[in-house]
Amino acid sequence: MSLLYIARRFGVLLVIIWLAATLNFFLPRLSGDDPVRNKLLEQASLGGYAQAGIEDMVKVYQKQFGLDRPLYEQYLTYIENVAHGDLNYSIANYPRTVVAMIGEALPWTIGLLGLTTVISFALGTFLGALLAWPGAPRWLQWVMPPLWALHAIPFFLLGLVLMWLLAFQAQILPIFGGYSPGAKPGWTPGFILDVLRHAVLPSLSIILVSVGGWALAMRGMMVTTMGEDYVTFAEAKGLRSLSIFTRYCMRNAILPQTTALALALGQILSGAVLVEVIFGYPGLGALLFQAIQENDFFLIQGIVFTVIVGLGFATFLLDILYPWLDPRISYRRG
Amino acid sequence: MRRYLRRNTSLMVGLVLLGLLALFMIVGALTVDTSNAQALSVPALQPPSWDYPFGTDRQGRDLLAVMVAGTPLTLRIGFIAGFFGVGIGAVLAFTAAYYRGWVDTVIRGVADIGLTVPGLLVLIIIAVSIKSLLTVNEMALIVASLAWLNPTRTIRSQVLTLRERGFVEIARLNGLSGPEIIFQELMPNLLPYLAATLVASVSSAILASVGLEVLGLGPVEAPTLGMTLYWVNFNAAIINGWWWWWLAPLVVILVVFLGLFFLTVGLDEIANPRLRRAA
Amino acid sequence: MTKDGLPVDRRTVLTGGLATAASVMLPATVIPAPALADLPQIPREKTMVLIGINARDGRWVDYELWNPYAIGSNHQNGINLIYEPLAYYSAFANKMYMWLAEGYEYAPDFKKLTIKTRPGITWSDGTPFSAEDVAYTFNTLRDLGPKAKWGIDVNQALQEAVATDPNTVVMTFKIPSPRFFFFTTYKFDIGVPIVPKHIFQGQDWPSFKHFDAAKGWPVTTGPWKVAEASLQQKVFDRRDRWWAAERKLAPMPEILRSIWLPFVAEQQSAQAMITNQVDMGGVIQPATFPTVIRQNAKITTYTGQQPPYGYVDWWPISLYLNNEDKPYDDRDVRWAISHYIDRKQIVDVGYLGAASVSSLPMPPYPPLQPYFDVVKDLLAKHDTLAFDPKKGDALLEAKGFKKSGDAWMKPDGSPLTLEIIGFGGSGPAIGPVLSQMLKRRGVAASIGLPPNFDDRFQKGQYTGAIYGHGGSIREPYDTLRLYQGKSIAVPGAHLVNFSRWRNTDFDKIVDEVYITDPTNVPKLKDLFRAAMEIWLPDLPDVQLVQNYHRIPLNTMRWTNWPGTDNAYINTASWHLTFPLVLWNLKPA
Repeated sequence: MSLLYIARRFGVLLVIIWLAATLNFFLPRLSGDDPVRNKLLEQASLGGYAQAGIEDMVKVYQKQFGLDRPLYEQYLTYIENVAHGDLNYSIANYPRTVVAMIGEALPWTIGLLGLTTVISFALGTFLGALLAWPGAPRWLQWVMPPLWALHAIPFFLLGLVLMWLLAFQAQILPIFGGYSPGAKPGWTPGFILDVLRHAVLPSLSIILVSVGGWALAMRGMMVTTMGEDYVTFAEAKGLRSLSIFTRYCMRNAILPQTTALALALGQILSGAVLVEVIFGYPGLGALLFQAIQENDFFLIQGIVFTVIVGLGFATFLLDILYPWLDPRISYRRG
Repeated sequence: MRRYLRRNTSLMVGLVLLGLLALFMIVGALTVDTSNAQALSVPALQPPSWDYPFGTDRQGRDLLAVMVAGTPLTLRIGFIAGFFGVGIGAVLAFTAAYYRGWVDTVIRGVADIGLTVPGLLVLIIIAVSIKSLLTVNEMALIVASLAWLNPTRTIRSQVLTLRERGFVEIARLNGLSGPEIIFQELMPNLLPYLAATLVASVSSAILASVGLEVLGLGPVEAPTLGMTLYWVNFNAAIINGWWWWWLAPLVVILVVFLGLFFLTVGLDEIANPRLRRAA
Repeated sequence: MTKDGLPVDRRTVLTGGLATAASVMLPATVIPAPALADLPQIPREKTMVLIGINARDGRWVDYELWNPYAIGSNHQNGINLIYEPLAYYSAFANKMYMWLAEGYEYAPDFKKLTIKTRPGITWSDGTPFSAEDVAYTFNTLRDLGPKAKWGIDVNQALQEAVATDPNTVVMTFKIPSPRFFFFTTYKFDIGVPIVPKHIFQGQDWPSFKHFDAAKGWPVTTGPWKVAEASLQQKVFDRRDRWWAAERKLAPMPEILRSIWLPFVAEQQSAQAMITNQVDMGGVIQPATFPTVIRQNAKITTYTGQQPPYGYVDWWPISLYLNNEDKPYDDRDVRWAISHYIDRKQIVDVGYLGAASVSSLPMPPYPPLQPYFDVVKDLLAKHDTLAFDPKKGDALLEAKGFKKSGDAWMKPDGSPLTLEIIGFGGSGPAIGPVLSQMLKRRGVAASIGLPPNFDDRFQKGQYTGAIYGHGGSIREPYDTLRLYQGKSIAVPGAHLVNFSRWRNTDFDKIVDEVYITDPTNVPKLKDLFRAAMEIWLPDLPDVQLVQNYHRIPLNTMRWTNWPGTDNAYINTASWHLTFPLVLWNLKPA
C-alpha cells in the first residue's frame, strides 16, 4: 500500500464525483419537461385557476433560474456553484434553498435508514454465518424460514400490514410522521422518546425485511468459503470448529458483505422512498421522489450530489481498506 | 435422481413451489377467462365464493383472472431484468477483476456513476419521453437498465478474492488464456455465488417493478401483481377489511420468492457437496 | 504488529472502517434544528387538528413560505388562513361578506372602481391598516405582472390604484372590468390577499419569505398567528384580539390552536379520524366512509353519515377530447363517444354510487341555477348525459366508420383508438372503468397516468384526458371563457381552451358576456343561451360527473360544521374561505 495508490484512488474519486454530477445534470434535462411550467401548471390545476399567461410566467422564471441560457453555460455555472458548495434554489419551492431542504431531511433519513441498515446488516450477517455452520443451534431452523418469507414481502406491504396490526388494530404505535402533532422539537427526553416511538414501525418493517436478505447473502458466501482448502487444512490440523468458523470462515466471507453494506448505505436514499412515503417520514428519500416528480432540476442535482459524495467517499475508504480486510489482495502491483 | 431429491429437501421445496406456480399459471391460462382481469367484468367487491374463488375487486376485476394473467407479467419483468442484470454484470465483473488496470477502472467507474442515478429518475424520464402509455415490456427494460450495476460491483469484489488463489496462479502458469481462466477456473468456483446473485437480482427486479407500480408509475391497465397492490393501496383495502384483495397477490408474491430462494439453497448444495453433511 | 507490517490489526480496521464509512454520511446530523419559540400549552379540547391536502408525500415542504406571492408558496397550505381579503363570498349561501372593504362602487362604464376600506383595523404588529396597503398591493401586482401570482390578471386590467384618503382606494382600469372586485374576493381558490405595505415595501416579492418568529412575521390582519412551522406540522395560535370580533362582524374563534398535518395516505387519514386524533380529515374515498363511521359514531360529513359524504366542488369532471386530433375534430365522433358512456355505471363503480352526473361544465350552485334553467330545452335536444350506444353506432357509420368484428375501423381502415390520460384522484377512480366501457363498444381505448399530465394536457399533447377545471360559481363568464379561442374585449388575454375547440361566433358572445354587468342576470341568461346554442351541438368535451369533496369531520370536540342543513360555506381547509369555518365551530 503506497501513498501514491491512495492519491491515485482519490483522483479517481474526484473524477467519479465529477462525472456523476455531470450525468445527473443532464439526465433530468433530457425529458424536455420544464420544472417552472410543471410547478405553475400544477398549482393552476390544483387551484382551478384559469392560468392565463402561464407561458409569460414560465419565461420570466426560466430567465431568473438561468434555464433560458445555452446548456453548456448552465453546466459551467452549475459546476462552479457546486465547487463553492452552493446548490442553488429549489425551483419548485423558490425561494427555499436546496441546502436548507436537504439539511432538514438528512438527519431523519440517516437516523432511520442508516441505523436500520446497520442493524439489519449486523443481525443478518451473523445469522447467515451461523446458518452455514454445522454446529448451528436447532432453533435456527425455525427462525430463518419466517425471516426469508418476510424478505420476500416488499417493504411497503409489510409496512402496511404492520401498520394495520400495531397501529390500527392494537393502536399501540403512531401511524405517521416523525413526531406527534403539537410536539416541540428539541433535545428533551419526551421529544426523543416521541421520535423513537414514531420510528418503530418504519424501522421494524425495514429490519424484518432486510435481515433475511443479508443472511441469505452471508450464507452463500460462507458456503463458498467453507469449501476452501485452508478450511479443510484447518480442520485437518484439528482446530476447534468454533475457531475455524469465526477466524477462518466468517472473516473471509464478510468481505463482499462489507462491499454490499457500503453500497446499501449509499443507496438508502433511493431505497427509502416507499417507506418514507408510506409512513409520512420527513426524510431525504421522499424529498427526492418529490423533486423527481416535479422535475426540479436543482433539487435533484443537489440531493444526488450529496449522495454521490457520501457514496464516493464510502467506496474510496473501502478500497483503501481492502488490503487490511483481506491480505490476499495486494495493490502493490498496481 | 429421486433419491437425490429426497436428500436435498431445499431443492425439492423450491422446485415444488415454482412447479405449483407454473401449474397454477398453466391450468389458469387454460381454464380461466383472463379478460375478466379488466374492470367492469364481474360484480364488484365479492368475497371469495364458488364463482369467484379469489373474490373480486372494487372496479369489478375477478382476482383469480388477475392472478392468472398478472403473475406471468410480473415474472417476465423480474426475469428479463434479472438475467440482463446478472448476465451483463458478471461479464463486466469478470473482465474488470481479472484484467484490472484501466479496464477495471473504467468498468468500476461506470458502475459507480450509474449507481448514483436514482432509478426513479430514469423511469420517469423514460415514461415522460415515450409520450405514449407505458407497457409491461417497457417496464421490464426500464428496470433492467439499472439492474446490472449492483451485480457488477459485488461479483467483481468476489472475483478479486478468487484471482489471488493458488489454482488461478497454477492455471496461469499452465499457459491458459484470460478468457479460459475466467470461464474454466473462476466461473465454476463462483457458481453458487452467481446463483445467489441471480435470485437476488430477479427478486430485486420484481421488488423494483412492484415498488414503481405501487407509486402509480406502472402500466395502469396491466393486471400485474404490483398494479394489483397499487389498487389495494389506492382503495385503502386493508383498512376497509377487503382482505381477499391483498391476500391473493401477497400469497403469489410469497410463493415466487420462497420458491426462488429454496431453489438457490438447493443449488448451493449441489455446487458445494460439503454442505450436505450439515443438512 | 500484523504480518503485513501494518501498524494496526485487521479487526480494528474492520470495525473502524465501518464506522468511518458511516461517519461520512453523518456530518449532516449535526446541522442544528432551527431555533423555535416555546409553544405555550393549550389543552387538546381547545385545539383543532386537521389533515391538509397539498403536502407532497406527507410533508410541508413550503413551511417557511408565508408570503402569498412567493412562487413556491401555495395559498391552500395555510396562507389562506392568515391573510384577509377585501371580501369573502360563499357560493353555497350566495352571500358576500364585506371584510377589509366596507363597500365598493363601479363607474357606469366599469373603468373605475372606488373601494371604501374599514377604518380602525390594525396589522398584527400594531401598524394601522389603511387604503394605502390596498393600493400598494394592487399597484405592485400590476408592476410585477408575470413575476407573481395574479400579477398578469391585475396587469391586464389595472391602470392605477390610488389611496385618495386613508379609507378610500380609487382604481382606474385599462379596459372595462366589471368583475374586478369579485376577482379580488376570496372564494374557492381565487382571491387576492392584501399585504402590509410597511413590511413588503422594498422587498423582492417573489423571493421574500415573510417568516421570522423574532420579528412577529408573518404580519397579517387576521386572528391567527404562525406559532410553529416545520415539515411535520403548521401550528396556528389564536391572537388575543381581532378587529372583526370587536366589530361584531364575526365571533372570536373558540379554537385556540389549529394544527395542520400533511396528508400521508387514505389509510392514515381514516385511522386518525377513527381514533379521534384528528378533527378534520383529508379527502378520502366514498368506500372508506362506512368503515370510518362504523368505528367512530362521532364522524360526520357535509351530508351527514349518508352518501355522497360531501359536497359538489366547483368543477365537474369531463372527458376532454383533443379537438385538433383526427378523428376527434369531428363533433359526430365526440357525440358517439359521449353516447357510449354509461355515466350511471361510472358513478356506481367509480364512486360506489356516492356521486352524481354533470350535464354542463359548471356546478349546480344556487346562483348558477337560472343558467341551467334557460338551456333546459337545449339540453333535452342535445342530451350530454344520454347513454345510447345505438345512436353512437349510427353516428360513426354515417361518417364512414366500419365495424370489423367487435372493433370500429376508421374510414381509412385503421382501428379507432383513444388513448386517455388521467391524474390525481379521478384518473385511477374512473379511468379504467371508462376505458373498459369504450372497449366494449369497439373503441380501442386505453388509460395511463403519466407523471407529466399537466404538461401534456396544457400543450395539447393528448388525445383524451380526464380532467376538471375551475370555472363559474356565480355567473357563466368564467366557464365560457374556458372555451374561448380568441378575445377582443381583453387585449392580450391568454386563453386556456383545453379542448382546443374554436368557434368565432362563440368567442364574440363570450366577449359580450365579459363587458356585461355580472349582476344583470336577464341579459346574461340570454347570452348564455346563445353561447350554448353553439357549444352544445359541438360538444367540445364529453361531460361525465360532478367532483365531490368528501371530507370526514369529527364532532367529538367541535360542532357546527358546514352541512346540507347548515350550508354556510364549503368545508375545504384548502379554500380561501376556510377562516369562516374556523370561527363558526363550537366546542362540543
